[in-house]
Amino acid sequence: MISQAAADAMRAVLDDAWYLDQPEDIATYSYDGFLPEFTPDAILVPENAEQIAEIMKIANRDKINIIPRGAGTNICGSSVAREGGVILAFHRMNKILEIDKESMCAVVQPGVINGDLQKEVAQYDLMYPPDPASMFVSTIGGNVSLNAGGPRGVKYGVTRDYLLGLEVVLPSGEIIKTGGKTLKNVSGYDLTRLLCGSEGTLGIFTEITLRLVPLPSAKTTLQAAYGNLDDAATTVTAIMAAGMVPTTLELMDRTVLDVISDYGGAQFNNDAEALLLIEVDGDSDLVNRQGERIEALCREKGAIAVDRAHTPEEAEKLWQARRTAFGAVASMRPNCIVEDATVPVKKLPDIIRKVVELTRKYDLQIAVLAHAGDGNLHPLIMTDLRDREEMGRVDQMLEELCEAAIQMGGTLSGEHGIGIAKARFMNMEFSETSLDLMRDIKRVFDPNNILNPGSFL
Amino acid sequence: MEMSLISAEFDQCIKCGLCLANCPVSHELFLEKYTPRGKIQLARAYSRGETAISDHYRDIFARCLLCGACSVTCPSGVDLTTVFTHMRREITEKKGISPSMKPAVDSLMIHHNISNEDNEERGDWREDIKDLPDHQYEKTKAKVVYFVGCVASFFPMTQTIPQNMVRILSAAHVDFTILAGEEWCCGFPLIGAGAGESIDKFVQHNVLKIRSLEAESIVFSCPSCYRMWREHYPNDIKLFHSTQFIEQLIDENALSFNELSWSVTYHDPCDLGRNGGEYDAPRKILNAIPGLEMVEMENIRAKSVCCGGGGNLEMTDPTLSSKLARGKIAEIRKTGAETVVTACQQCVRTIKGRVRREKMDLEVMDISTVVSRALLNV
Repeated sequence: MISQAAADAMRAVLDDAWYLDQPEDIATYSYDGFLPEFTPDAILVPENAEQIAEIMKIANRDKINIIPRGAGTNICGSSVAREGGVILAFHRMNKILEIDKESMCAVVQPGVINGDLQKEVAQYDLMYPPDPASMFVSTIGGNVSLNAGGPRGVKYGVTRDYLLGLEVVLPSGEIIKTGGKTLKNVSGYDLTRLLCGSEGTLGIFTEITLRLVPLPSAKTTLQAAYGNLDDAATTVTAIMAAGMVPTTLELMDRTVLDVISDYGGAQFNNDAEALLLIEVDGDSDLVNRQGERIEALCREKGAIAVDRAHTPEEAEKLWQARRTAFGAVASMRPNCIVEDATVPVKKLPDIIRKVVELTRKYDLQIAVLAHAGDGNLHPLIMTDLRDREEMGRVDQMLEELCEAAIQMGGTLSGEHGIGIAKARFMNMEFSETSLDLMRDIKRVFDPNNILNPGSFL
Repeated sequence: MEMSLISAEFDQCIKCGLCLANCPVSHELFLEKYTPRGKIQLARAYSRGETAISDHYRDIFARCLLCGACSVTCPSGVDLTTVFTHMRREITEKKGISPSMKPAVDSLMIHHNISNEDNEERGDWREDIKDLPDHQYEKTKAKVVYFVGCVASFFPMTQTIPQNMVRILSAAHVDFTILAGEEWCCGFPLIGAGAGESIDKFVQHNVLKIRSLEAESIVFSCPSCYRMWREHYPNDIKLFHSTQFIEQLIDENALSFNELSWSVTYHDPCDLGRNGGEYDAPRKILNAIPGLEMVEMENIRAKSVCCGGGGNLEMTDPTLSSKLARGKIAEIRKTGAETVVTACQQCVRTIKGRVRREKMDLEVMDISTVVSRALLNV
């Protein structure tokens, strides 16, 4: 619990109105997109870095936990008050401060919604590539904290690849700047990248400088339908091996197709047991040429049908439906866990076979979904948290899958983060020495362990 | 009220937050408690006994347009608006009618209309009609009943809707009647006020009157009356929204149009579009008028953004309602169209009210006005 004196001090910083502790606020900041819920002591909604600095000084002095939260759409449990404390919410820090067309970058506050930024920069013929499925809701601050990815990661990479600089409030209340507007920057340690993906454990981002790229003038979406999952997976490695880099290369099985196919008028192939949803972008010649080559390759690898979306609206409906996959599959059983293990792309067919094998071995209901082009799996495990016996099997399955991914040279998490979801598996991927190094880094930034404590460390 | 009736809905919510994307209220108030996901969690917390119904709790549920944008976005298929209307009812049962809704509810109970007027004045909009026929559109038998609705009957700004509707129906030689003082509110505002248990007497009265006319169908210019009848009234009579009925008249060549060289955009009312499933009829009507140039807004059909007039918000939080109207007008203006057409008296009232107050150069009209202006030889 927070002492009355500390609460009063924080209220004073926030003009009272933005220190929230009514039951309705406590209840609605106790969750994010992951399963477990934790009750915070209060919610603070600051307006600027200076207010955050003052709050941090109070929190650091009184050892009050601070948990930064964007839109609360993450699915690893990284924005909940696991050990109590206050939620720091960025709703009021939602301004795009600058779009610098010449230097091709943008400076934003952490509460800006990814989709809003995308829309804004498109007016300058620019693009901000990271596109997590939550992009119309999730914030840039949250995206940086989790190093969010998205379907376009195949060609464009992830948040980290577009992060140029940060303004950060440290637990001490000091404000630092890292990086800047330059694409090249090798001065000193790369603190920007260290902070990216740190899941709110090192500092609070108050200004974010992002790299933008030219908006491609053309794109096309095609869907390749397969009679089995294996053919679809081997096509993915074949496309990449042929030296082509589609913007996105998504794989989904029949179970996923069944639940998303009627969303918003999207039209997917009805006979497919597995489907690749592929987008290429660039200038129109390149798009056409690549589209044709990919189409031919899909057929060669056993596709039973390959169709192109005829209009941008038709294509958008397919992508919109794809973005709903998690929620749609999740509605089939009381709970749903999205796995996020990622492997080098040539191992994709192997890891998909592993998922199918484990599904049978542990007698579970799993829908297969993957950002296949970058080896990023998203099997959706449908389950019921109340069923202890089944949850035991789910845990064993998850453990075996993570082990397999790491043995193939992969990682525990491609883009969703560790949070609560995968903290227990960290020693699979990291030696004790590596973990100690991370703990030491955490101590340097946050000696009193007030920032998002109880996380992956 | 039995909370278990709706627990299946909120148990289905996986808290993904995608519903926040299209909620106009969340965009304005942004705190999680005002978002659709937040309200679902608050309903769940209440059902588990973790949260009590406070005044603040009631205010949160009142700050919702019941527009249904969240329900159509939800990938898990949660029927959020049903949860929200159930919660309003639960709140009313526990705390009574909210003070901001009390005048409207009292007026309904006493006068059977939301305007606190003598219900005999329901047909006064006819006073401005030139060449009013002897029957004054009140017959003892007719094939079609035109159900005018409270807002269009009583508010001067929207009385043009029935005036134009009777002109259109007459031009097409439709055998129709109105109920005038015998029309009672359909009961829709009671559902939004959490007083759904009081709708029975309204349903019974209206059904009795309409049966006595031996009518085959009812036409509604109000999408919410239309929705109310579809969802809460006996289903032994054909129901049409005015746009559906006019579309049918056009198909039967019962109406001919002059050219109107206007540029218009169309706003989909929530209760006609998302909650009524009718997006095409109004567009077909506008397309049938020669010379009319139609420019679509960015968010249309299921993605249409509420004008700010839904969910009784205008009564519970007029400031918020007008902010949302301002947002709607900004979207309208981006089209460059000189006129926004809609098919709902409440949308007309909300949008036009804001346009007038801010002295903007934008025509706002119900589709019946457009059709009426385009009519040949009447």
